[in-house]
Amino acid sequence: MIDSSADTALYGYAVVGPVSDELREELGDGLELIGTDELAVVVGSVPLSDFGEDVLEKRLNDREWLAETATAHEAVVHRLLACTTVAPLRFGSLHRNAASVESFLEAHDAEFRSTLERLRGRVEFGVKVWLEPRERSEPRPAATSGRGYLEQLRRDRDSAATAQEDLDERLTRIHETLLRAGVAGRVNRPQPRELTGATAEMVLNAVYLVPAGDDALFSEVQRLKEQHPDLEFELTGPWAPYNFVEEPEQ
Amino acid sequence: VTVTARDITLVELVDRVLNKGVVLNGDLVLGVADVDLVYVGLRLLLASAGTLDRLDGPA
Repeated sequence: MIDSSADTALYGYAVVGPVSDELREELGDGLELIGTDELAVVVGSVPLSDFGEDVLEKRLNDREWLAETATAHEAVVHRLLACTTVAPLRFGSLHRNAASVESFLEAHDAEFRSTLERLRGRVEFGVKVWLEPRERSEPRPAATSGRGYLEQLRRDRDSAATAQEDLDERLTRIHETLLRAGVAGRVNRPQPRELTGATAEMVLNAVYLVPAGDDALFSEVQRLKEQHPDLEFELTGPWAPYNFVEEPEQ
Repeated sequence: VTVTARDITLVELVDRVLNKGVVLNGDLVLGVADVDLVYVGLRLLLASAGTLDRLDGPA
């Protein structure tokens, strides 16, 4: 039993089920299962010096600590994915002791069972679409008069609006196509350039739930790449179904 | 099909590990009497643009 003292808390990584011998072996020494063979939470012990409310906000803004801790969380969840069905818990799910985890599980028993049933045998892939900043193909003629300048502004604005509409329509079609290759999908807010650090603009940030081992989404992305040579497609995964722990709205 | 190596950007991690996943009910914090569940309101913290900006600030 992992020690939970006044200085530590139990950090929950994921709700999992069923629990197999393979899963128990995978957990090793640092992690523990709390619950039953059908439904359990994977926990580890963490020091409150890192996760106490008084220090956590500061920690979260410490890029190195955040990267390390979030990486560790993801690594644990990813290992579980190979052994069982996984509903990841959000970063920083802390309980004081095993009894608290048990009552949390009991309170959400039906909900977790149905979530795991829905996610069984499925994994998440991310598809990001990027657009390089447009470069003007032809130098534009200099405006010779005030009126000429205003007309040029208007034409530029109209053509930018048309380009945006055209892009939005293509992205909608791309998402619909990918949605058909999976069992569910979601569009998240594109990450801003300040976060990605890329010169290209992220124009679509979508996630799809697909049967594990199925390559329909992969093939579809290859086809879309050929159909849209001006866009860059980035496929990542397989991930645990972080984006699909909640029932889709549609 | 494994599409990427396991070199994951911080932004990808934040996108999933910090912003998604099962949320425990109630944003309760340690030190509250008779409360066993210890959960800090990360979502609120991270939803603020300020936090996101700082994530990408100079190391």
